[in-house]
Amino acid sequence: MSIDVLIPESVDAAAEAYGDGRDVTVVGGGTIVVQLMTQGWLRPTRALMLSKAGLSYVRKSGSAVTVGAMTPVTDVADLFAPLGPCAANVGDNEIRAQATVGGNLCAPTPPEHPSGDLQGPLLALDASVRSTGAGGESTETVEEFLTHRDARLVLDLSFEEPVAGAFAALDRPHAHHPTALAVSAVKAGDGSIRLAATGAGPTAIRLSSAEAAADDPEAAGQAALADADLQDDALASAWYRERMLPLLVQRVLNEIKEV
Amino acid sequence: MNITLNGVSRQISSPPLTPLLRVLRNELNVVSAKAGCEAGGCGACTVLVDGRPQRSCLTAVGSLNGAAVTTLEGLGTSENLSAVQQAFVHHYAAQCGFCTPGMVVAATAYLDAGGSDDKEAIQEALGGHVCRCTGYLKIVNAIAAAATQSEFDLTITAEEPNVVVKTGGR
Amino acid sequence: MKAVGARLPRYDGVGHVTGQTQFVDDVRVREMLWAKALRSPHHHAAITRMDTSKAEAMPGVEAVITHADVPLLEYGHLSALGIPADEPLLAKDEVRYKGQPIALVAAEDADTARAGVEAIEIDYEERPTLFDVRKAFDDDAPTVHRWGNWYPHFEGEMDRRQIRKGNIEEAFEAADTIVSGVYRPAAIEHAPLETQVSMVVPEPDGRLTVYSCTQALYFSLGVMAAHLQVPLNRLKVVGGTVGGGFGGKVDTASETVTALAAMKANRPVKWRWTREEEFLASSTRAPWHMEIIDAVTSDGWILGRKMLTLHDSGAYARFSPYGLTKHSFHHTGAYTIPNLHFDGYVVFTNRVPTTAMRGFGVTSVSFATETHMSRIADVLGLDPFEVRLKNANRINDTSPNMITYPDPSTVDVVLSIAEATDHSLDDAYMSMSRAQRSGDMLPEHLAAQIGEGHEHASLHALVHGVDNDSEGN
Repeated sequence: MSIDVLIPESVDAAAEAYGDGRDVTVVGGGTIVVQLMTQGWLRPTRALMLSKAGLSYVRKSGSAVTVGAMTPVTDVADLFAPLGPCAANVGDNEIRAQATVGGNLCAPTPPEHPSGDLQGPLLALDASVRSTGAGGESTETVEEFLTHRDARLVLDLSFEEPVAGAFAALDRPHAHHPTALAVSAVKAGDGSIRLAATGAGPTAIRLSSAEAAADDPEAAGQAALADADLQDDALASAWYRERMLPLLVQRVLNEIKEV
Repeated sequence: MNITLNGVSRQISSPPLTPLLRVLRNELNVVSAKAGCEAGGCGACTVLVDGRPQRSCLTAVGSLNGAAVTTLEGLGTSENLSAVQQAFVHHYAAQCGFCTPGMVVAATAYLDAGGSDDKEAIQEALGGHVCRCTGYLKIVNAIAAAATQSEFDLTITAEEPNVVVKTGGR
Repeated sequence: MKAVGARLPRYDGVGHVTGQTQFVDDVRVREMLWAKALRSPHHHAAITRMDTSKAEAMPGVEAVITHADVPLLEYGHLSALGIPADEPLLAKDEVRYKGQPIALVAAEDADTARAGVEAIEIDYEERPTLFDVRKAFDDDAPTVHRWGNWYPHFEGEMDRRQIRKGNIEEAFEAADTIVSGVYRPAAIEHAPLETQVSMVVPEPDGRLTVYSCTQALYFSLGVMAAHLQVPLNRLKVVGGTVGGGFGGKVDTASETVTALAAMKANRPVKWRWTREEEFLASSTRAPWHMEIIDAVTSDGWILGRKMLTLHDSGAYARFSPYGLTKHSFHHTGAYTIPNLHFDGYVVFTNRVPTTAMRGFGVTSVSFATETHMSRIADVLGLDPFEVRLKNANRINDTSPNMITYPDPSTVDVVLSIAEATDHSLDDAYMSMSRAQRSGDMLPEHLAAQIGEGHEHASLHALVHGVDNDSEGN
């Protein structure tokens, strides 16, 4: 069983190789797809390896930040909250250095537990995602991108450094576990607050009801339950998440208030 | 494609999506990196890629063209143990030995990057490595000792040893 | 005593830190085939049809092994002791746990072997499952084992491990209070870093060289020879380097089937389980269900104990009858209780078979008895150290199976713990020792069995299924 493997050496070549994305397996850092292939659970016919595509960069211009899809998670771990603290809490030392920001954003939702830790902070930051695929290059919000992330090749992400940000997560029992539940908060220049949760739905979700009640952290915590789609999985029960989500929302809102 | 393995240039003929771990073990017959889970969760397969620790089971070899790969075999020999290796022997940090290659490789990278004997920092650096035998204390102690450049006498200290210990390899 | 107090390096330490230690997976031989197993996707099912012809015809597949290739399909680790065997090496017409091996495919590489496994055509008819030992005895419980739902061969024909000592009715009549508790420690996976693995090399002289991760090399040798129906001198088992065992590598898990594949292909074959297989199908420590009902006096003496144990063996017996026997001998913990009524069953369920793990059979009952001692103290409003010290074994006390303790250390250990935890005790307790009972430490209920001169208590004791002559062993 031979696999057609493409290793493009520029962004344009990567976009061309990806085409409309049909039947293409993208290999970023490899931490997700290589093990699936080893177990025989993923059997690509065509694969696109991005290691030489020139997509690893963190560019700052004033308060604007652009992060290439192949940037290792480690390289955003010292950025501002909520992205930095969240990145520092992904996997372990070696996994963070190998896993990529784009790969984490596109992480499939396995049946056992949520994945894609960075989706929450990127959602809270209202990042825009530049991607390619059918119809060519496009830029859209994280919310829009998440709905069809398996059919796009992410190129980079752009967002503004917020006035304040906060991240709170349940402790992980082992470094290899994804986070069972995490909440990210961002305060924009106009004082508006965005909240997002990882582990409260199949992908990260925005907590709009909690945002509306953000002046009262306790009420916002309770309101967040209306936004969530809590499930039992290998990491935590829905029962437990229901009790923890309000607390995490309160925690990030209180933290952001102090700034 | 080729990689530099423990200082020697090696041609690779495995397909590019083959995990480095399988290339090392099955194509190149370099077997210190272990297949503990082949899912990135145990750390036993960790090797250095251009000096940084990496899970060889999660690394498609096609991404490594021209890279320098160092396995445990490249860090020290039984006649000339590295500081980390000496500390692991002295502190009984290797019990069954299966996780040890990944532990020693990651500890070496930690110290090469300027890591100190701070035990919390050691735990964070080795946080992805699973040991089922020792309870980790001995491993952390060994790395802390290596960080302070302690020297160890690995010979028996009893006056008339009744146990013969070979320090050479098999 | 040259080693005591000396700092002796591990004999294998240098090999471990330099990567020179050779585990089974590290052994290199030429022309080696990789094996993958077909495992049951169901917890309980009949196998109604199996056709391996497409797998056998696949390019690169060199051997497909099923139950039909095994000379002696059923043989147990305790068969040599006369314990009947119940577990087929490869499932024939019924699978009783998820992950049970059914067939093995050996091929030029692991991917081809896996493709061969997928090419085996097999039909199942799912059957009702049993996972809760408490439901095994219900009239409408599904039958999960051909012997019924619990092991029927203690001492050949008994369906339980049973101990009767003293007079349990009198103990409960004399009691001030009854203290009961239910204890249910769960299964534990051994989780060695090295998964189950073996490699078998057919040698030109007709022998097989067997590289195994086993913890019990002579078990592997005997069990393989029996299944393969070959003399022991055909097998050279190479062991000694185990990437973590913890009891989970006592069962001969992979060697025998690998040997059959190597014999059929006449090539070296390696079968290394994936991490998923290790967690799915390798044996675990058993879960236990233990019910303890004690007759106690208000001043903290335990007059009698009724106990029911349901030992979840999983789908097959393996070592469980032995584990339950040890369990029964230790069901009073480190304490002396003169009147006992113990029933223990090895119960079959559709879980993975259970096996050895650090003192198996005893760790479970130690958890239960120690927790129960504290519960007794709680109920009576007494100090848990004092309750333990009163009932602690003394010289010449007898165990449930009528072993006389020549030098028990319970009193010393409890006093040491009190000291280490700064727990203050009255002088009456601080001055206690392991010396043979007398005075206040020999109350009426113990006098009958543990008297001056130690008349052996067999007058009042009737121990079924226990060798009464084994005293002192």
